[in-house]
Amino acid sequence: MATQLPEKEIVVIGGGLTAGLVARKLVPAGREVLVLERGPDWAGSAVGELPHQRDELRWSTYRGMTRRENVETYTLRHSPNEEALPMRQLLSFLPGFGVGGAAQHWNGQTWRFSESDYVLRKHITERYGAKSIPDWMTIQDWGISYRDLQPYYEEFEALFGIAGKAGNLKGVKQKGGNPFEPWRERDYPLPPLEMSEASHIFKSAAEQFGYQPFPMPAANASRPYRNPDGMQLGQCQYCGHCERFTCEANAKATPSSLLFPLVRSRPNFEIRAGAEVIRLNITPDGKRIASVTYIDVATGQEFVQPGSLFVLGSYVLSNVRLLLLSKIGKPYDPVTRTGVVGKNYCYQVTSGINMFFPDKFINPFMGAGALGFVIDEFNNDNFDHAGIGFHGGGYISATQTNGRPIEARRLPPGTPRWGSAWKKANADWYLRSMGLSLHGSSYANAKNYMDLDPEYKDQWGRPLLRITYDFDENDAAMCRFVNGKMEEIAASAGAKVISKPSVRKSPYDSRQYQSTHNTGGTIMGSDPASSVVSPHLQSWDAENLFISGASVFPQNSGYNPTGPVGALGLRLADDLLSYLSNPRRLG
Amino acid sequence: MSSDAPQNVGRRSLITGVGAFGAGVLAAPLGAVRAEQPQAADSGIKRGEAVQVHPAPPALADGYQSLGLDEAAIVEALVAHMWPADDLSPDGVVLGIATFIDRQLAGAYGQGDRLYLSGPFKQGKPEHGYQLACTPEQYFKDGLRHLADVSVQRYSSAPDRLTADQLEDFLRDISSAPPQAPAFNLNSWFNELFYPLFVRGAFADPIYGGNRGKQAWRMIGYPGLPATYATDMVTYRGRRHPASDSPMSIQDFS
Repeated sequence: MATQLPEKEIVVIGGGLTAGLVARKLVPAGREVLVLERGPDWAGSAVGELPHQRDELRWSTYRGMTRRENVETYTLRHSPNEEALPMRQLLSFLPGFGVGGAAQHWNGQTWRFSESDYVLRKHITERYGAKSIPDWMTIQDWGISYRDLQPYYEEFEALFGIAGKAGNLKGVKQKGGNPFEPWRERDYPLPPLEMSEASHIFKSAAEQFGYQPFPMPAANASRPYRNPDGMQLGQCQYCGHCERFTCEANAKATPSSLLFPLVRSRPNFEIRAGAEVIRLNITPDGKRIASVTYIDVATGQEFVQPGSLFVLGSYVLSNVRLLLLSKIGKPYDPVTRTGVVGKNYCYQVTSGINMFFPDKFINPFMGAGALGFVIDEFNNDNFDHAGIGFHGGGYISATQTNGRPIEARRLPPGTPRWGSAWKKANADWYLRSMGLSLHGSSYANAKNYMDLDPEYKDQWGRPLLRITYDFDENDAAMCRFVNGKMEEIAASAGAKVISKPSVRKSPYDSRQYQSTHNTGGTIMGSDPASSVVSPHLQSWDAENLFISGASVFPQNSGYNPTGPVGALGLRLADDLLSYLSNPRRLG
Repeated sequence: MSSDAPQNVGRRSLITGVGAFGAGVLAAPLGAVRAEQPQAADSGIKRGEAVQVHPAPPALADGYQSLGLDEAAIVEALVAHMWPADDLSPDGVVLGIATFIDRQLAGAYGQGDRLYLSGPFKQGKPEHGYQLACTPEQYFKDGLRHLADVSVQRYSSAPDRLTADQLEDFLRDISSAPPQAPAFNLNSWFNELFYPLFVRGAFADPIYGGNRGKQAWRMIGYPGLPATYATDMVTYRGRRHPASDSPMSIQDFS
């Protein structure tokens, strides 16, 4: 039977970004924090050392930093009336696993969501009328505004040493920055990265249309950096091994480089790796969490860990699954549209164009995860949507993340797939090609959700999470529109050959990597009937349970989610201190 | 692609000893031949004067771990056809792609190390990805057998005995023709199993047995390791980087 352990004050489930941000604040304040992480501690392993860190086959193709699917995967179906099948190889996204979570193997693209994102339904209703929102588009408001998160964005950017150029300082537009960014107090703590040839080509082309390109905000340090906690980053080496890898130069901001070291030696902090929480146990009155049950993944033995305050900060999909397995909150039902847990699963709508220049050396191998110029003219509601038949949008960028040769060789359309002509095309174009990409919003649809699979089980015999998801007509229309703008820019850049971007549409293809920006399922809001957590991220069902991460987003923006996940985590840390001083429902 | 002569590449290696039982006698000369290949390939590639020549890496142990004689013959025939010898490099067998594939099949990937292999098993849509109950190694070998059967039906010849034109037609057909249930789905076998392994064998770090002498990296100009470009980002923006001519791999730093 399960072994009972002594009580800890605060138990955090998941050792990623949220855990790091919460521990950083609570531990120095004298609070006792235990972090339970199902994956390994990567420190000191080959993953972060030369020469093995540069092994594309091991870390990228075979996804060495993610969980083995035979332990746990997810099932997928495209609509509620289909049968779900397990994704036996998880290729489309890379859930966090191990200390640092997904913020350990991220690219470092660090944004603030638009002011309209937090009040999306209200904003669209006011600007375009309630009728412009289809019945099935179940977008809703966060219950907070940008103003609530703004100081935490500042703090997060300072902690993570974000490299960028301000576009809006206290309401005053700044040349060279993003004219559409929400106002900010201070400029980015580091100057932008050195830009690539590809980025300069894109910038010149975009400027011909009057667009205003700016450097993508990057958690790849453009120079050595010391953050306000005294933690340090080295300078980015532009090695092109960010996403799917951890940084061997300590130049990519991660929880294990900047957050956990601060508290690791403190007696009131512990991070227990290889501890997989399988259930949150409710008190007999059903109003609080008493403990969690976890499995030591090395031995299979169960332990019960009591605590007084619990933070669910694991990967998006694990947050949802743990609530469902623990029977906390009412599961969402797509037929009646009642219930909340699993509701509003959203993703990211992406596409790309390849461009080929016989006379230019692009050198794609010199890259960084967030290196590149971006235009924001067609993102979110930065442009007029009246009468165009869709909501949302995305940014267009020339990010040069990597030139890893198994997966990042661009070839002109029509190239044979093997033979001497194929070899020659590789030799001709590898160094002389670049890509533009669209990174677009994903708005909630009543039929996209998560629940427990009735058939398939994980290694421990518990139901897998079932994802019911497909792209809808809004996604395809948005993608088609922004693709058109991207094609215009590409056509003016002087490339000899340009590929045609594909429209992201049904059916969602789990064989292709698209994005690890899965969101929703434990969404935040001001009404318990339509959300899982309050605007303070406090569970409506258990007062001493707080949930954070991209699982609280009611829908997904056109920007990458890590910035708001960081800001929410820091705000949560303040809320937890307040709660601990006087346990209550925060209002 | 224009030659009508039978390729016989698969049988070639049997003659020289790869994969043959008792190959120990012949393995040494073969290793020696392979060690020379990087230099042979160099002469065909236009690049800067400063070609840095690294000492040839020690020859990998030859012989196959997973593939049997007939299986190896088919794999070698496909690999040598799909990565032919030309002025850019020697053929894919010499490059080590067949060895790479064999090692992958024998190793963690081929044995389904992390694959979710719990039932029930249903076919689903292509977008559901791999839904087989067997390991990639078994799937790979089932595919080889079906490939051989179809080849004999159509051309009265095993895949490794086809002319280059026949093999080209055959591969184009299976890679593009929609599958005909209930026949074995050679289309997804080729596109989703064989082809990705072939590409990985060409471009993965040579430590895995393919991309010998870093020839595929040199062919495209990928410099490999150590990939520290903090100052090069400016110096070589828009210019060819000299490291493109002399790639380094994990072994060079080990």
